[in-house]
Amino acid sequence: MFLDIFCFILQSGSGPSTTEYTVRVPKNTSKKYNIMAFNAGDRVNCSSWTQARMERDMSARRIYGEEETPESGAGSEFGKKQREEARRKKFGIVTREFKVEDQPWILKVNGKAGKRFKGIKKGGVTENASYYIFTQCPDGAFEAFPVHGWYNFTQQAKHRTLTAEEAEEEWGRRNKVVNHFSIMLQRRLREQGGCEDDEDETEKGGKKKKKGGQKGGDLRLHDLDDDLEMSSDDSDSSMGEDGESKAKAKKDLGKGKAKKKKQKSHDKEAIEDSDDGDYEGLEVDYMSEESRSDHQNLLFFFFICIDEMSESEEESEEEKQNEEEAKEEEEEEGKKTPVQVENKKKKDSSGESDSSDDSDIEGETASALFMVKKRTPPKRPGGRGSAGSSRTGSRPGTPSIDSASTSSTLRAAASKLEQGKRQIQAAGTDSPAAKRLKMEPSSQSPVPSGKSTPQPPSGKSTPSSSDVQLTEDAVRRYLIRKPMTTKDLLKKFQTKRTGLSSEQTVNVLAQILKRLNPERKMVNDKMHFYLTE
Amino acid sequence: MSEKGEVDLTGVKQNTGVWLVKVPKYLAQQWAKAPGRGEVGKIRICKKGNQGKPEVSFTLNEELTTIEGIEDKTVSAPRDHPFTMQSVGGQMLAVFTESSSDKLALEGVVVQRAECRPAVSESYMKLKRLQIEESSKPARLSQQLLKPVTTNYKPVAIHDYNREYERKKKEEGKRARSDKQQVLDMLFSAFEKHQYYNIKDLVDITKQPVTYLKEILRDIGIYNVKGTHKNTWELKPEYRHYQAEEKTDE
Repeated sequence: MFLDIFCFILQSGSGPSTTEYTVRVPKNTSKKYNIMAFNAGDRVNCSSWTQARMERDMSARRIYGEEETPESGAGSEFGKKQREEARRKKFGIVTREFKVEDQPWILKVNGKAGKRFKGIKKGGVTENASYYIFTQCPDGAFEAFPVHGWYNFTQQAKHRTLTAEEAEEEWGRRNKVVNHFSIMLQRRLREQGGCEDDEDETEKGGKKKKKGGQKGGDLRLHDLDDDLEMSSDDSDSSMGEDGESKAKAKKDLGKGKAKKKKQKSHDKEAIEDSDDGDYEGLEVDYMSEESRSDHQNLLFFFFICIDEMSESEEESEEEKQNEEEAKEEEEEEGKKTPVQVENKKKKDSSGESDSSDDSDIEGETASALFMVKKRTPPKRPGGRGSAGSSRTGSRPGTPSIDSASTSSTLRAAASKLEQGKRQIQAAGTDSPAAKRLKMEPSSQSPVPSGKSTPQPPSGKSTPSSSDVQLTEDAVRRYLIRKPMTTKDLLKKFQTKRTGLSSEQTVNVLAQILKRLNPERKMVNDKMHFYLTE
Repeated sequence: MSEKGEVDLTGVKQNTGVWLVKVPKYLAQQWAKAPGRGEVGKIRICKKGNQGKPEVSFTLNEELTTIEGIEDKTVSAPRDHPFTMQSVGGQMLAVFTESSSDKLALEGVVVQRAECRPAVSESYMKLKRLQIEESSKPARLSQQLLKPVTTNYKPVAIHDYNREYERKKKEEGKRARSDKQQVLDMLFSAFEKHQYYNIKDLVDITKQPVTYLKEILRDIGIYNVKGTHKNTWELKPEYRHYQAEEKTDE
């Protein structure tokens, strides 16, 4: 409209021309005029709006608002209001009133999918000078309306933002994290992970993604000390992790937890609680009498392993190999608690390596127990395949097992359990490599020989003499009669009477138990097996 | 209720352009006094030739120039007010109105900003001086009283208080123990209104001696610290029926 005026003036010639208009200030306006100011950078174009809704933002009302205590009836106190008021006056607390007029506006343009603006009142506009809006009327006169309020409208973010805590956290890591785009991604994944069950797998799945994301995108700059460890762990474990997670899926979750969590906890930087510490302190002392129950535990694990072995033997073994490759140096991180336990034992024993073969054997026995199912001798990349595959085949167990280490360890385990019989065989093969898994050196002999499986034959054992035969029927009889622990069972089938060597006994017994699949119950903290006919 | 909050966008659709003019306070005051239809003056837009910026000037009506100052000083406001034109810049300024019935409408977009400046004149200077004088006066004033205040002595005992105290003593004497049943009724009705009571308030309500009241309260109520420093009495749970408003008695 004004442009028209100016144009008119322009057209009317070169000489100066003036036009006069009357100015009116209407008195009876029921409408209050306000200014809606937008940021230049927002590039708001009002004409593009198809629809707009605006209302006051009343969220501040509850802050200013009344007490939560009810006025009367239940929960109220007599004279509460007066007392509160008196108290406030005494302390000089002046609460500002909640004025609707001063509340911000919420403007929504083009419906739900459109933009959102928040208009905050600008103070002090009408204090020293008045603003007027001059509009031109059809009759050419100007009408001036006073501006009641000025609101600055800013666009509201639709994207997700970090909360204050998260922002502080990220601020702390700002020097380390280069890839800032992953921050929000991780947050989203974290939320997803938190919603799911507390299963290791899912967590790990999520974290793996996260870790992968980090690895993929981040160039993590590490501070020297603590992070160096972490980075070495990272690189080591990254390879093994895929295999591990699959392996874990198949294996006992509870047992796997210890190792896995330990690995992951490094990376997470205290984002999650690591509860692998629960298992850490577990030490089994193989030297002393009192550790008998631990032996039982070991055997129990052993039997469980056998159970599981029937489910998924090959894959796990293959992956175990991978794991072991990756994990060689990391003695601290036993794969499973017992293994961890066992490693510790080994370290202990390796300290006195030369001194006592017994200790070596004892240490190895435990590992042998697991080796039955899980362990292939590590550090044998070449022969692994064959070893692994050969294991699953159930070869008739030769009583004298060639694989020296495994045999000796099994034997040692059995002997320890029986509390008195130690048959030292081929101890020489167990070179007590300090701080090495005992499996490693001992694996040299078995592998070339096309490693015979330490696994007890699926067939029956061959008892030579028979006062007592270690047969399935015998075991069944015992178990039907009353619940027995593994130790009890072993006692029944003493090597002298069955004619089997102790490790054979253990193997065969394990096989039988697997076949029988007895029921288990805990009596006096000991796992008993029993059958019901 | 889709009406509420809906912004009428007709002004924007028509591309109504408005001016935003900053006007001095005194002028705004004068405009508020405008009689009749509200005509306050005339605006003159002068265009100098083809190029050059248009000059806008506002002339105040004669009748509105008289400003009644304080202390009977009437100053006359200047009449001429040239406008200083300013561009809006990148900023988008829209005008919206809120009617008394809470209807919102977008009136238009600001196309031009201006400042109304008074033309410097003698009358303006006088006006300004007056304004300054007024604003420089302190808000609080010390004034000497002609008559000294003689109404507040420092008595030994305040007379009013004394009177009230004596009256109270006469009226109430020692609080008499009424029937236990009556007291219970009073208590229950009181607890219907509020859940927590101070012992003093209960004494006030029931007009019973404190010890007697406490005995009764010990029967039917519990004394709780409640976390706040005020210790309050409330009814025992078995006596409470705050939703149904029933009270079990004894």
